[in-house]
Amino acid sequence: MYLYQIRDVDHFYGDKQVLSIEDLAIPSASITGLIGPNGSGKSTLLKLLGFLEAPTYGTILFQGRKAAPFSKVIRSRVTLLIQEPYLMRRSVFDNVAYGLKIRGDNRETRSRVAKVLEQVGLEPESFARRKWTALSGGEAQRVALAARLILKPNVLLLDEPTASVDAHSARLIRKASLKARDEWGTTLVVATHDWQWLYETCDSILHLLQGRVFKKGLGCAVYGPWRIGQMDMLQKELEDGQVLLAPKPEEGKRMAVLDPSSVQITLPGMALVQGNCKTLNGFVARLFLERNGATVQTAIKVAELIITLRMERHKVEALRLCPGKEVNVSYDPQEIEWF
Amino acid sequence: MDFIQEGFRQAVTLLINLDPATYSAINTTLRASGLAMAASLVLGIPLGYLLGYFDFRLKKQLRIIVDTLLSLPTVFIGLVIYALLTRNGPFGEMGLIFSIPGIAIGQTILALPIVIALTATAVEAADRNLRITLMSLGANRRQIAASTLWEVRLGIFAAAVTATGRVLTEVGISLMVGGNIKWHTRTITTAIALETSKGEFGMGIALGLVLLLIALVVNISLAGLRRRI
Repeated sequence: MYLYQIRDVDHFYGDKQVLSIEDLAIPSASITGLIGPNGSGKSTLLKLLGFLEAPTYGTILFQGRKAAPFSKVIRSRVTLLIQEPYLMRRSVFDNVAYGLKIRGDNRETRSRVAKVLEQVGLEPESFARRKWTALSGGEAQRVALAARLILKPNVLLLDEPTASVDAHSARLIRKASLKARDEWGTTLVVATHDWQWLYETCDSILHLLQGRVFKKGLGCAVYGPWRIGQMDMLQKELEDGQVLLAPKPEEGKRMAVLDPSSVQITLPGMALVQGNCKTLNGFVARLFLERNGATVQTAIKVAELIITLRMERHKVEALRLCPGKEVNVSYDPQEIEWF
Repeated sequence: MDFIQEGFRQAVTLLINLDPATYSAINTTLRASGLAMAASLVLGIPLGYLLGYFDFRLKKQLRIIVDTLLSLPTVFIGLVIYALLTRNGPFGEMGLIFSIPGIAIGQTILALPIVIALTATAVEAADRNLRITLMSLGANRRQIAASTLWEVRLGIFAAAVTATGRVLTEVGISLMVGGNIKWHTRTITTAIALETSKGEFGMGIALGLVLLLIALVVNISLAGLRRRI
């Protein structure tokens, strides 16, 4: 059962089209990651999913039914946490309890507020009576998250939740959000550049560019500038001087995506698998055993690029991969797609 | 310059001796201003919210009109209200001419643009993420309005303080619509105008100081309230 079904949505701000999605479905209790450069439409998509705005054209079905801003179907069930949280000019307790208060739910407010504050790593005794001004950025973000978690939402939409907070707050925000999914089956949609979010926890990742979903999965997007290189290929010089090659794109396509399923990981000194392949040198940044126990998400850092691929567990063990280990990434330039 | 000293002395005497005419003028001033402020806040805050919150056609033009009304001369308001409320005027039968409610109507027209304009400015200046936050937490339109107004309460408070100052100290409306009738519609400002025209500068200054004192008490009370909210 899909929680969201988006059909032929085109959204405009004035004359400018900011989002165009033909067909997209998000399953219940899933975690979906949104990735893309600034202005790619991530925040707009989250606002549409949160029914804070109605799409200019097209329909968004929620649990198979049409919904719109202020619909009863979505009130208090779908909630969005924005990147720069707004805390109301009242105490932490009143901020967290606001959602309960406006829906007339006064049952055990004190203990429920205490529970969600604990969930986001804030001691209720020390924080509940604090003013909104007496909080750090990370604490404010966690209070804002607590104000949403207390609603036990069906959908929690997070817009760059860890972009402007310290590592400790980021970890607590991730933990509390995931607990909501695990305990209440909350569906999470997260726009983030935090690859830990994306690759460790997301069930699916949507790449957005110029308001369009152009890739689903673990694609590694490569942004320009590109130069014309040898053999009529384009070349991108990476930060450490290595060069990535790609075929010339069709007119209007601007972003190259390296499909990780087409790359090979070898150890330095091992023979290449195919003659046409080019090799980049990098190191293992992170390994994450997936929930099935059989595959490992392996993040390889090559200069500024992070190539995340799903590898069989036995292969990871055979190569004795571990974080920091130097590896070669072999890719076929012809496998690079343009969007 | 002796009349200034005399004014201070008389001001203290008037208040300490509970001068009935002075207290009658204070009573009339507070009643008219109180009514006017209540009416202008009840009407002005929702209208200011609508003007500040929503985007609609002709919003800019409406804003210019409201801002222009901030400069309404009190004698002009007095003249218009007098023309409307006088016995032969369209609302003459209501018997509001030369009455405290009549003065309050004129003062409401004086205060209303201030409350509307400053409330609209406060609402416009509210954080752009406030609406998203309130909607995200499940607020309906009415709850968004109430919560937004509560968030900008200090701006609304400033509007109320500014309008109160203007209403307390105006003379044109009170004089023309009230008629400066002793024991009935004489306010402090109309009493000052009268005493000054009689050459009783000391008495005029005394009443002016009493008015300042009232303004001080009102503002201290409002500042106390401001700290609590």
